Amino acid sequence: MSSVWLPCGDYHETYSQDQGWWQTSLIRFKMISLLAFVFIGCPWALPEGWHWIAYALAGLGVILFLVKIIANPPDFKGEWVLYPFVLALFMLYRLPDYYLSVMVMIGYYGMGALGVQLLIGYTGLITLGHAAFIAVGAYVSALMVLYFHWPQFILDAGLAYPISIVVAGVFAGFWSVLFGLPSAKVKGFYLILTTMAAQFITVDFILTQYVAQIGGRGQAFSLPPGTIKVGPWVIDSDVKIYFVMAVILTLMVAFVANLFRSRVGRAWVAIRDNDIAAETMGINIVQYKLLAFFVAGFLGGVTGAFWLSNTAALSPEHFPWFLSLWLVGVILIGGVGSIHGAILGALFMVLITESLQWSVIPLTDYYDEVADTLNPGQLKNILDWLVPKLLMDFAYIKDMVFGLAICAFLIFEPNGLSYRWWQTKNYFNLWPFSY
Amino acid sequence: MVHAAKSKAKDVLLELEDVHMYFGRVAALAGVNLRVRKGEIHSIIGPNGAGKTVMMNCINGLYKPQRGSIFFDGQRVNGFAPSKRARLGIARTFQKIELFGGMTVLDNIRLGRHIHMNSGIFSGGMWIGKTKREEIESRQFIEEEIIDLLEIESIRHKTVNMLPYGLQKRVELGRALALQPRLLLLDEPLAGLNLEEVEDMARFILDINEEERWKVTCILVEHDMGVVMDISHSVFVLNFGHKIVDGPPEEVQANPEVVKAYLGEEDMYTTRR
Repeated sequence: MSSVWLPCGDYHETYSQDQGWWQTSLIRFKMISLLAFVFIGCPWALPEGWHWIAYALAGLGVILFLVKIIANPPDFKGEWVLYPFVLALFMLYRLPDYYLSVMVMIGYYGMGALGVQLLIGYTGLITLGHAAFIAVGAYVSALMVLYFHWPQFILDAGLAYPISIVVAGVFAGFWSVLFGLPSAKVKGFYLILTTMAAQFITVDFILTQYVAQIGGRGQAFSLPPGTIKVGPWVIDSDVKIYFVMAVILTLMVAFVANLFRSRVGRAWVAIRDNDIAAETMGINIVQYKLLAFFVAGFLGGVTGAFWLSNTAALSPEHFPWFLSLWLVGVILIGGVGSIHGAILGALFMVLITESLQWSVIPLTDYYDEVADTLNPGQLKNILDWLVPKLLMDFAYIKDMVFGLAICAFLIFEPNGLSYRWWQTKNYFNLWPFSY
Repeated sequence: MVHAAKSKAKDVLLELEDVHMYFGRVAALAGVNLRVRKGEIHSIIGPNGAGKTVMMNCINGLYKPQRGSIFFDGQRVNGFAPSKRARLGIARTFQKIELFGGMTVLDNIRLGRHIHMNSGIFSGGMWIGKTKREEIESRQFIEEEIIDLLEIESIRHKTVNMLPYGLQKRVELGRALALQPRLLLLDEPLAGLNLEEVEDMARFILDINEEERWKVTCILVEHDMGVVMDISHSVFVLNFGHKIVDGPPEEVQANPEVVKAYLGEEDMYTTRR
């Protein structure tokens, strides 16, 4: 038996098959389609007048289908028939810019939550200061882009920002190790306090008081147009930001997923599950905890550096303590101890707050129209007070929903969305004979 | 080096010299001397609270004895952390199972290969190349040497928490074996097992000890006297932190002091058969 459900009668013959990604053709099809959706389906569509390419692809799909059912060559895989159709569909449509910016937010929280997931979910080190490392990454990247004297050929090649992303990651990694040092001695609640110290020392003290004052503009750094440049592309539109997000997020997820099927990731999980046994198995606990802080800080730093491309200005207020808490909430809702959890949690949180916004604004508009027709009375007084307040105090409603969602998940689905996702997948894997 | 000069006869793998371990004013170990020769199964028996597990923890490094020396293969290991001793070749199982509950059986055993692998974050995150090769080699070792030996093929992808107690004990033995240890500390590997499982486990211990492939020296802490007397080469009897006798099983069984230490606990002295 393999770790995934294989079709009846299929067996792996080598260990590398058994440990590979995408072990069945169905999984491979799903994953390739997902990547195509992220990189082609969402951000890009065929320009006007070129739609015939998509129809041609669909035609190719029909031909492949006929080849499959009539000739059926021995090495012809069934899923090849489907790819042209999927591709054609994704090439015909794209998301409007607004939805792309929502996707960018999802990606941003997903990246941040991935670092938190690594610390809390996989290594068992509870952190409430991850926003500090995101902030460090953002500021290192911004300072490098603005003040470093880049050689002209690097600026021409558009490498300044990509290089600053990596440097920001490494710097934030070491910064994170600095505040991870107490983890050698303390666990649980005490570690939460030291990570919170990281937040307040870094953001509220060092960044606000000193770093943000560099250049003498007061609180905010503003990045002149054209400074955020990746290769030949100046990142100045929602689509381009989206592409930066998609590439970084994909690389991050692949990196973390690979880590957890190799030696380092296993050592982290072992420390989470049973640190004494882990130590007797030859794992140097302190070293691996600090390594976890480094990698989480690195991911946080890259996240922060990415955030730069989404904002033209940078201020310490972008990284409040609430962001740290928010990221922990994201993984609680998504599922602790799973990479899916970080992404699904980010998806859930962003979509819920966005959909609240979609519902509140039309609601107030509608109420403005019908308010005069209502009979005066107690109910109308309450509504007159409440409905505008919903819009005015939307930030508080957002926080309230955040708290409510976490409570609901802890009570009704403590394993998070990723567990539900896994259950659903298994149901369909075994369908219709699920016993 | 002073300690190198102290290294005793060539065939001694582990030596405890006058080891004292106190918890407050309670002497858990009061001057224990133990010599384990290469290739033997050396059992440690004694009534509950005699200090057997404390002794294991001292050898393993989880406890630091206040006085005395521990030599492993001629090297004084007193100051070494447990992880460093694991690298030297000391592996152990626990009385109360200490597996990694959220991981699968295969991952638990893979974790035992930790010290034999060396991919870091970079190669691990990239996967292709070194890490992949290493993972597949280790998988092959685990499948062909350990899972096959311990007969746990059918549960390799199960989460450990979901398994019955007897199988968990077996997985724990497998995890310790994955270190390819030179000295294996078995802390009550038979406790809580039914007769069939006891027989299986005793067979595995003998296999590990005798098979040319393994030849692992074992220290066995156990209450099942039948098994202890059957499979050990020598037996060390401990009571209230003091050694009573250390010798071949027949000698120990005949010793009047041992009988006295167990007085009123005849049940312990009989096996469950």
